Amino acid sequence: MRHQRSVITSVVMIPLGIIVGLPFYYIIVNTFKTQQETANDPFGWPSHLNLDNYVTVFQTLPIVQSFFNTVYVTVLSITLMLAVGSMAAFGRIVGKGKIAPVIGVALTIAFVVPGQATLIPLYRMLVRVQLVDSLNGLVVMYSAGSIFCYFLILGYMRTVPGEIIEAARIDGAGPFRIFWTIVLPLIRPILITVGVFQTMWVWNDFILPNVLISSQDKQTLVLQVYTAVGQFTTNWPAFMTLTVIVLIPMVIFFVAMQRHIVNGLVQGSVKG
Amino acid sequence: MTAQIQAATRTISVPRTRPAPRWARAREFFSTHVFLLPIVVVFVVIYVIPMSQSLYYSFTNYNGYSADVKNVGLHNYQQIFADSAMLSSLGYTIFYAIATTICVTVFAIPLALTLNTKFFSRNFVRSIFFFPAIPSIAVLGLVWTFILNPLGSGVLNTVLHALTGLGPVPWLSNGTLAQLSTVVVTIWALTGWHAILYLAYLQSIPTEYYEVATIDGASSGQRFWYITLPLLVPAVTVSQLLLMTNGLKVYDLPYTLTRGGPGFSTRTLTQSIIEAGIAQSRVGQASALAVLFLIVVGIVILVQLTIARSVERRLS
Repeated sequence: MRHQRSVITSVVMIPLGIIVGLPFYYIIVNTFKTQQETANDPFGWPSHLNLDNYVTVFQTLPIVQSFFNTVYVTVLSITLMLAVGSMAAFGRIVGKGKIAPVIGVALTIAFVVPGQATLIPLYRMLVRVQLVDSLNGLVVMYSAGSIFCYFLILGYMRTVPGEIIEAARIDGAGPFRIFWTIVLPLIRPILITVGVFQTMWVWNDFILPNVLISSQDKQTLVLQVYTAVGQFTTNWPAFMTLTVIVLIPMVIFFVAMQRHIVNGLVQGSVKG
Repeated sequence: MTAQIQAATRTISVPRTRPAPRWARAREFFSTHVFLLPIVVVFVVIYVIPMSQSLYYSFTNYNGYSADVKNVGLHNYQQIFADSAMLSSLGYTIFYAIATTICVTVFAIPLALTLNTKFFSRNFVRSIFFFPAIPSIAVLGLVWTFILNPLGSGVLNTVLHALTGLGPVPWLSNGTLAQLSTVVVTIWALTGWHAILYLAYLQSIPTEYYEVATIDGASSGQRFWYITLPLLVPAVTVSQLLLMTNGLKVYDLPYTLTRGGPGFSTRTLTQSIIEAGIAQSRVGQASALAVLFLIVVGIVILVQLTIARSVERRLS
C-alpha cells in the first residue's frame, strides 16, 4: 500500500519536475546550437558540440569586467553589513543604558520600511556626493542590509551564554577584545548563514544597478544581461549563452553553500 | 558547585556596584555604545534623512532643480488618483501581490507535504523546484521574454502551434494575458523556495506526534488537520509575510518581462516611483507615492501579523 502510493507520487512528480525544469534545459541546450538549429528544433539535442556562441559572447561583451565589478560590490557590501550588524548586536547585548533599547525599536521600524520609499532622496544624495554611476555608491545603498543582519545576529547572540562574556570581563578583557576574540568566533554559524543570504541578494539585485549605474564598464552581471537584450534580440542562442555564463557563478556558490541555506531557513523558522 | 561559583562572582562583582569614578563610567558608556555607532550612522543616512525628505517633498512642488519650492499641501496625493499611470500601477501591484501570495501558497504547501514523504526521485524533484530561486529573478524574466515571444524565438508558441494548431498567443502584448503571465512566471520561480521553507517546518515536527495519533486511531486526514496544520501556522505566517511584502515591492520581474506594458497594464508602483522621481523629475509626486506606498506596506504587515497571531492563539 505504502509502496504503491510512493510509485504514484513518483509518476506525478517526475513529469511535473520536468516541466518546471524545462526552461533551464531549453536555455542550456540552445547555447550549443546555431540560430538555424534553434529555430528548427528548439528542444532537440545539438548536432555537434558548438561553442561559437560562447566565443561570440566573450568577444562582444565585457563579461569579465562585469564579473569583477559584481565581486567587488558583493564582497565589500557583505563585509560591511556583517561588521555593522554584528557590532550592533553585540552593543545591544552588553549595553545596559537606556539608549540601546531605543535604538533597537528604531531599527525594528526601519526593518519594515521598503527601499522604494527612500530611493528618490537617496539617489539625489548620491548625486550630490558624486557616488552615482559608481560601484561604491552601490555599496553605500546595500549597507541598508546591515539592519537585516543585525536582527538575525541578535537572535543568535541571545543564545550565547552571557557568563562567557562576563567571565572574560572579569578576567580583564576590554569590550573590543571580547567582541573580536570571543563573540565573533562563537557567532560564526550565523555570520555564514546571513552572509550567504545577503550575497544572493546583492549578487542578483537588479533594481539598484539599473537605477544607479549608467556606464558599461561599471555594470554588474545582471545589468549586463539586461542591457544585452537589445543587442541580441535576433541572436537568441547568444543571449541564452550569456545567461548561462552569468548563472554559473551563482550555481557554484549555491552548491557550495547549500547546507547553510537550508540551515538558515530552519533558523528563520525558529526565530519566526 | 554552581552556588559556589555564583557566590564567587557575587563577591567579585561587588566593587562594580560601588559608584565608579566619572571618567570610568564615561569610558564604559563609550566602549559599549561605540558598537552601536555604525548602525546608527546607517540608520540615519539610509532611513531617517531620506524618509523625512520624502515626507517633506511629498507636500511640495519640488522638481529636483528649482530653488523655488512651494508648499502645495495634499495636492500631490490627490494627483496620484488623477494620474492614470500611477493609479493603474497601484491596482496592478495590489493584484500581483495578492495573486502571487495565494497561488504560491496553494502550490507550495501540497508540494512540501509531498516532498516530506518518501518516493523515488524525491531529491531530483526537490532540487528542480528549488532551482529557480538561485539565479537572479531579473535574468529569469529576460529568459521568459524569449520563451513567451510571439515571433519565431517564442518556443511556447511554437510548441502550442505544433500541438494544437493555435496561432501565436500574445502572452506579453495583451494587457490581461501579460498580467497573468507575470503571475505565472512568479509562481514558477517562487513555489519551490516556499515549499522548502514549509518543508523545514514539517521536518521539525516530531514523528512521535504522528505515532501517538495513529495508535489512538486518528485517520490520516485527522492527523493532517490536528497535527500538521496547527504546527505549520508559523511557517504560513513567515511565508505569507514574505510573499505579500515582496509582492508589493516587486519591480524586477514585471519590468524585465514587459517594461510595464502593454500600456500601463503591468506597471508596478516601484516603477512609477522611479520614473516619476528620477527620469521625469516629478520629485514631489514621486515622494507622495513613496509615502503612500510605505503606509500601504505598513498596514499590510500589521494586518497580517494580527491575523496570524489570532489564528495561532485559536489553534494552540
